[in-house]
Amino acid sequence: MTKGETCARASGISTSSFELRHSFVIRKFVIRHSAVLLLLSPFFAHAESPRPTLPPEQRTNGRQTLAAVTQLKPLTLECAVRIESVLGRPICTATIVGTEGYLLTKASEVPDLDKARVRFADGRTAALREVHREVRYDLVLAQAVGVTGLRAVSFGAAKPLALGQWLCSTADVGKEPRIGIVSAQRRRIPGTGAALGIRMDEKTPKEVKGVRIIGIASESPAEIAGLQENDVLLKIAGEAVAQYRRVHELVNKRQPGEVIEVRYLRKDKEETCRVRLASRTKVLQNWEGEDFANGGISLRSDNFPEVLQHDIPLYPSDMGGPVATLEGKVVGINIARVDRVTTFALPVEAFWPEVQKWMQADRHPPKAVLVK
Amino acid sequence: MRFFRTQLPRRAATILVVMQIIAAFAPASDGSEKHATSKTDLATLLRIQTDVQKLLPQVRPALVAIQTGGGTASGVIISADGLLLTAAHVPGGPGKDMRVILEDGSVTTAKSLGLDKATDAALAQLKKREKPWPFVKLSREVIKAQPGEWCFALGHPGGFDKSRGPVLRVGKIIKQTANSLHTDCVLMGGDSGGPLFNFTGEVIGIHSQIWENRDQNVHVSMAPFLRSWDAMQKSQVIKVWGIGAGGYLGVATVMSDDVELEVADVIEGSPAQKAGVRAGDVILSVNDDAMTDQQQFTATVRSKAAGDTLKLKLRSGGKERELAVKLAQKPQEDSE
Repeated sequence: MTKGETCARASGISTSSFELRHSFVIRKFVIRHSAVLLLLSPFFAHAESPRPTLPPEQRTNGRQTLAAVTQLKPLTLECAVRIESVLGRPICTATIVGTEGYLLTKASEVPDLDKARVRFADGRTAALREVHREVRYDLVLAQAVGVTGLRAVSFGAAKPLALGQWLCSTADVGKEPRIGIVSAQRRRIPGTGAALGIRMDEKTPKEVKGVRIIGIASESPAEIAGLQENDVLLKIAGEAVAQYRRVHELVNKRQPGEVIEVRYLRKDKEETCRVRLASRTKVLQNWEGEDFANGGISLRSDNFPEVLQHDIPLYPSDMGGPVATLEGKVVGINIARVDRVTTFALPVEAFWPEVQKWMQADRHPPKAVLVK
Repeated sequence: MRFFRTQLPRRAATILVVMQIIAAFAPASDGSEKHATSKTDLATLLRIQTDVQKLLPQVRPALVAIQTGGGTASGVIISADGLLLTAAHVPGGPGKDMRVILEDGSVTTAKSLGLDKATDAALAQLKKREKPWPFVKLSREVIKAQPGEWCFALGHPGGFDKSRGPVLRVGKIIKQTANSLHTDCVLMGGDSGGPLFNFTGEVIGIHSQIWENRDQNVHVSMAPFLRSWDAMQKSQVIKVWGIGAGGYLGVATVMSDDVELEVADVIEGSPAQKAGVRAGDVILSVNDDAMTDQQQFTATVRSKAAGDTLKLKLRSGGKERELAVKLAQKPQEDSE
């Protein structure tokens, strides 16, 4: 179900009335008519009747427009697979890079591959064996256990792509095509470390042992983990904390996507929770929440050696999937949803030479492959 | 989103209601498929790509980033002597000083001239300089920017970023209203005031508002600029929905479970309320034309001018009644 449908259903009559009464203040005003104004306004002439609202299927990513890229399916959609939890919850997308089941996905989305599996378009599932994890690229190379004869993507060059170049990718965890364009210059995205999404009391009173939380960012790791204002942090990943600076240090040096244990005091009771960290930029730039980001932002949205920015309408769960030109050459792998207008992809040149070495090293000598 | 209009609704439900109200400004739909763009093929997409890439070097230098006390936004230069189009909520008032960053990162200043607060159109003047400013033309044929046409947007979402540069988006026009265009070129905070282009490289819109969905991006069309040009150059502030919006009744409608057109709400002080229209009334006909859906009703009301009288046939609690309602001018949204 699309967001639009959700939206339509949410609009009951009662909410309508509420909005109408509160957002419009009716007042008297002077009507300033003028003959000149009339002539300048093409709408007053009623010369032509404008067309009706464009139906969804005719929009940029509507069914009829996407028909143009149907022929790319074997080169894009069929090389994208879904990574899901062992219970079947979708996590992210992966790109098949080797016929023997090698695939690449976004590392910070799957800190523990033992708790995930791959689901192919035909419904088959397979366990995943981690081959190589690379924090620099936020990529993990894995192998679908016991699966061979897959169709791997065919890589092209991302370097020559200029602003305005059409790109095609996969949405709905690898099921549907989407198009967009290269929307900004290629560049490095500096990192800012990880964050919980809390504001801390810089002067926690002496009698309090620990660091008091005085603010929680909306949709932040802390909020998701259930931390609240006035909770007092006692231990971060096993280390007792007394100063807000130390909390920041302990958290900041970790990787977005990592899970840490937080021990805290709430109403004189000590409790423990597990918090999945996010990029500090993500948390700071979205302190009030991510409701204009359409489906949210990736936990890790920065610290990449080089990115290709595009405007394909995707969700965080589509990260790890391939980005191709309209010739069907894969030029990158989606690596982060950043905000409403921005998605980053790692350009092929940034990671493929190294990934090939990891695959080579993994094949020789061949590893025993467990068939479940 | 602090860089967009502050009254931006943040929840889905309220967002949709605003859509509904805006929809009241949509001119009558001709209800046919004759303009419908048929299936797009690969060649069409590639032609769009070639055209955008050809136009970009011409139009990019006219895009600017604007910094005000309230945040960061965008704008576009439309004359060699440095006239700048932006959104009214960017300067907020006439005579405001703004910091302006050009594409190459060089910094200058501009002063806001007049603005149309009702439609979010504003004019500003860049500081004089010897060299002519790079500029783009604006489209004077507002009617041509119709649903289904391809377009592209430039802006500085999130603010000026030298290493990233301006951000391009390519999309389609979804809707044309009296004063705005809706497109699927996805916008966000910082884009406000930036230009929407047609494929001759003319400005057809100025980025103004977003709602939650990706297809809900609103641009001020060139209509309010052209209409109020002289007033804006004289630094006047326009606060009323001048003209062109048609008559105003003041009801919100909903399709009932029995698929009848029902009054969901009546706005306080509106012509409808004064005439005795009540929430829950079923609208049977307008001027003896039977009403079957919301679009037809909206179109019928909008086709009449302020001052015209409508004959409404209503039903409530099994009883039918007729009312005469004299349409008024659409009141402006209270934006301050």
